[in-house]
Amino acid sequence: MSEKNTIAHRATEGTEINGPGCGSSSATSVSPCEKNSPLLRVRNLSVSIGKAGILDNISLEVPHRTVFGLVGPSGAGKSTLLRCLNRMIEMTPGARVTGSIHFHGQDIFAPTFDSDVLRTRIGMIFQQPVVFPTSIERNVLFGIRRLRRLSRSEGTDLVEKSLHEAALWDEVKDRLHASAQVLSIGQQQRLCLARTLATDPEIILMDEPTSALDARSTEAIESLILRLKTERTIVLVTHNLGQARRVTDWVGCLCPSVSTGAGEMLESACCDAFFGSETCRRVFRTLADDETLS
Amino acid sequence: MTASRRLIRFLLPSIAALCAMFALTAVIFILGVLLVRGLGSIDWAFLTSDTRSAGAEGGILYQILGTLILIATALAVAAPPALAIGLTRVVFLRSRPRAARVVDALLHALNGIPSIVFGILGLLIFLKFFDWGKSWLAGGILLGVMILPTLTVSLVERLAAVPRKYIEAAVGLGLTREQIITAVWLPQSWSGLLTGSLLGLARAAGETAPILFVTAVFSGATLPTGIRDNPVLALPYHVFVLAQDSFNDDARANLWGAALVLVLLVACFNLAALPLRLNLHEESRHV
Repeated sequence: MSEKNTIAHRATEGTEINGPGCGSSSATSVSPCEKNSPLLRVRNLSVSIGKAGILDNISLEVPHRTVFGLVGPSGAGKSTLLRCLNRMIEMTPGARVTGSIHFHGQDIFAPTFDSDVLRTRIGMIFQQPVVFPTSIERNVLFGIRRLRRLSRSEGTDLVEKSLHEAALWDEVKDRLHASAQVLSIGQQQRLCLARTLATDPEIILMDEPTSALDARSTEAIESLILRLKTERTIVLVTHNLGQARRVTDWVGCLCPSVSTGAGEMLESACCDAFFGSETCRRVFRTLADDETLS
Repeated sequence: MTASRRLIRFLLPSIAALCAMFALTAVIFILGVLLVRGLGSIDWAFLTSDTRSAGAEGGILYQILGTLILIATALAVAAPPALAIGLTRVVFLRSRPRAARVVDALLHALNGIPSIVFGILGLLIFLKFFDWGKSWLAGGILLGVMILPTLTVSLVERLAAVPRKYIEAAVGLGLTREQIITAVWLPQSWSGLLTGSLLGLARAAGETAPILFVTAVFSGATLPTGIRDNPVLALPYHVFVLAQDSFNDDARANLWGAALVLVLLVACFNLAALPLRLNLHEESRHV
């Protein structure tokens, strides 16, 4: 047994498990472990790309106005699962999806379901912030001004509202017409969030949104997530169990299967239950190993 | 280090430098000859008056205008299909690499067709079949088809270089494929179309063979007023005829003048577009 495992184990018991409570501790959200009606319901979802199985028989439910965390080691298919939720998986050549995902009770893979409309209601934030080579203002309006007709004043109002919501307004209000690419990487990520918020999605998918960011920006994004969930539902992929602990209400834990290598759902539970479980300890050890190795 | 390695290390750059100097010398030599022989005959009157006495007197106004008309037509003919083919190739055939390769092969084949073949094809189609007589439009269309691969390949290069993350971000916002074309693909790549157009125009402006049978006449044409039997004068054709037939010293001086004007015309296009090309992407200023 290596020393790092012992250290990881100790960390699991000490700071993480007994640390400050799950995301549901904020006053406005639903009480922990109480399921309201699910907004997203994934049933028996399997994904393969070419001949490789990526996800195997995943089922989970994402309740309204909660933060659902997806944790697990690299290669477990967390990002693939996220990309299924807004059907972006269809952009991957050779991807095959079976099973179903219901959004508001409707099957999103049904032939009549418009994937573009789906993506206006389920927004996405990527690991690396993607800002377009244009001004801050035009970045915020990039999506929405193509989705519906905006008057000039509506546009101005929306830019301010979205940037406020993404906690970026005070930093950029004097230079809305400056290029977005001079912003720091943490600011760029919040700009991406503002751009997504401008289209007013019900669900925001976040694919390790803070892994490219420094500690301060990470903190900003985390407190943003807690604030956003009063009105929206968030599915957050994260490597960081501490982050999952701080902001999520529900946690799904994916792990690659020993036999096939495809990701399986080890446990899907409310945050408090998950962080008390044996699964959590195991995953924490794996992740600690991952980090030590990389 | 062994002696042979040291030799190679010395020889390779030397040979490369020699080859580069050869190319450079050729350019300087051509420009030098053109300047020495042609500069004397260029003045304001030369650029703004009609040809007289079979090229021995007067200027080349209508040859310049004719060439401009031809390349403008060629661009108008080639740009829309280049855009369509480029988008098809990169965006619509994204998941069909085999079909994309067929498009590439066809473009290369088109690019490999000798210009004189375009000339006789034009003769067959526009003169014999449509019975247009000599027409500026026939030449413009032929030149347009000829420069189509240049425009398309240059555009495809830029389209293929559009960062994947931009497309994903736009898809993630719920934009349709058509909206993504106008919001991301085209703004990110139109400099490719511009670069290709400049290369294509430079080539089209100097081509003689495609316009030989269906478009150009040596004298007697001014500006076209219709399509049928409306030939134009053109700089390369003017140079071609003067070079073949001139026994007169004045005509020969004018020949060099016309050749120099042709080269300067092409250079002007490139220079005029240079700052535009460099500044096109906000990205290029910040990265």
